Amino acid sequence: MSRTRLSRWFIALPMVALALATIYPLLFTANVAMKTRREYILDRFSLTGGLRWENLTTAWNSVGMARYFLNSLIVVTCSVALLLLIGSMAGFALSQLRFRGSSALFLVCLAALFIPFQVIMVPLARIMADVGLIDTYPGLILAYVAQFLPFTVFLMTSYYRAVPAEIIDAARIDGNTVYGVYRRIMLPIGAPALLSVGILNALFCWNDVLISLLMMPSADHRTLMVGVTSLRGQYSDDIPTFAAGVLIAAVPVLLTYLFLQRQIADGVTAGSMKG
Amino acid sequence: MPVGSSSSVRPVEAGRTEGTEHDRRAAPRAVRAWDGRRAERLAPYILVAPAVLIIVVLRLWPLALGVNFSFTGDGDRNGAAVGFDNYTDLFDDPLFRTALRNVGLLVLLLPIAVAIPGLLATFIYLRVPGHRVYRSVYFFPAVLSPVIVGAIFNLLLAFDGPLNALLGGVGIGPVDWLGDPDVAIFAVVGVHIWATFGMALVVFLAGFAALDPALMDAARVDGASLPQTIRHVIIPGLSRTIQFVFVTTMIGMLTSMFGLLYIMTSGGPEGSTYLPEYYIWVQQGQMNRPALASAASTALFLIMLVVGLLQISLLRRAGRED
Repeated sequence: MSRTRLSRWFIALPMVALALATIYPLLFTANVAMKTRREYILDRFSLTGGLRWENLTTAWNSVGMARYFLNSLIVVTCSVALLLLIGSMAGFALSQLRFRGSSALFLVCLAALFIPFQVIMVPLARIMADVGLIDTYPGLILAYVAQFLPFTVFLMTSYYRAVPAEIIDAARIDGNTVYGVYRRIMLPIGAPALLSVGILNALFCWNDVLISLLMMPSADHRTLMVGVTSLRGQYSDDIPTFAAGVLIAAVPVLLTYLFLQRQIADGVTAGSMKG
Repeated sequence: MPVGSSSSVRPVEAGRTEGTEHDRRAAPRAVRAWDGRRAERLAPYILVAPAVLIIVVLRLWPLALGVNFSFTGDGDRNGAAVGFDNYTDLFDDPLFRTALRNVGLLVLLLPIAVAIPGLLATFIYLRVPGHRVYRSVYFFPAVLSPVIVGAIFNLLLAFDGPLNALLGGVGIGPVDWLGDPDVAIFAVVGVHIWATFGMALVVFLAGFAALDPALMDAARVDGASLPQTIRHVIIPGLSRTIQFVFVTTMIGMLTSMFGLLYIMTSGGPEGSTYLPEYYIWVQQGQMNRPALASAASTALFLIMLVVGLLQISLLRRAGRED
């Protein structure tokens, strides 16, 4: 018994080391963001002399981080709202309503799950350019919706499949139309799944750089992640300000993770259990 | 419009057959019910229409368009059918060949990228000290954008950066992590694995949660060692999860390293860190060769298809042997 307990601690040691290696890079960045340039050049590891916010305000004000932040916020909010609405509608119909062609339509959604963005990005950019949506908010939003919709439909369909048919039948007998059932029954019942899928989609959209680069390339349309990549060139000799920009871009995700970690993990594993 | 025509026909019929005051008032209600039934029949289609339309127009159609596009020319030969010219150009291009070689490297590294989170999940499942904390910590980098991760590691891996300072302290290096063509791809893949192993870990833990605890108890009673338990209980019990992690990790390596490459190496040094997705981006965005980029896209799609099917069949066979 004591031998196994000892070996357990032996295993725990590298796991603790790995845990530290997981957190350290971000702590390092946060520390650097608080330093002056001089402090950083003299000693990269030393703790900052104090909580200095100058680098953060510089990054926020001078390189358009505020604008990029707003762009990201607009695009992510609209994309997620549309994804949840369209995804839950389709999920409800595909899981609970009997109609001709439903399984074929589900297959269409499923097949799209296996088409990565890289494979369709060239023709998609051309289609968007043809309809005048390149470099516009609606264009990027539509691209995000198209990218993450198959996943959303798939998860909402599997979630709604577990809803007992009796609940829906009862609501129909009470005089609800199909739309009434969707609005009064399926949306409230689906809330936990919608929360998980919504957060996951928000992360995907917020973190994306490729789709955004392709769909909204011009400077004042940059989303935050594209903005971070442009920081690199501008602040290559001012590491603390660069680190501050990176920190600003990471904060919304950090907060989301702190408060909604369970929902994020649920969304990730839901795909694996049903897949 | 079917709805309009029905409402104009029905009341007349109702009036002709019955004609009492009461029925005339009741008629519109019957009409509404009839329209309602029709609307109800259409409702499922209306509910799925937006999703199906978006997916067909913006996912499936572009796939067909792209394949078609890859057989046409760029620049002067824009739109003209050129047969397999783009594909021969593609495989003559040293950059694309490097990208393919790097894909081969990723396939070789895949078992490691799956085994690390698998082992860690096993330890957490077996409740090593502190098992409650690891999941949240390990999963955390997985939610960060590759751009943020890449930017952070740009700092850490810089030639005059902290990692080399640390290694110098124990007499190693300095290593030009992102500047040496033989090292850079390993540095980038290493960062990718650092950033994503938490995702696979969470999936593994969900698999463990569904594992029959009686099997683990039986193994413990029989006095099975840890390697024996892994070999005879955990791997067969989690075969579906392992299969899922293999496929998603491979897809992740092939399709979600763009952000890292873009900010960490831009494909360099000497084009040594090219991957197909980065090649596609460069040909489309920088070189203005969309048809060549489409050929690379089609090649990437085929690679993913082959690798995915191969993995599934290999893992299935391994599963049967157990």
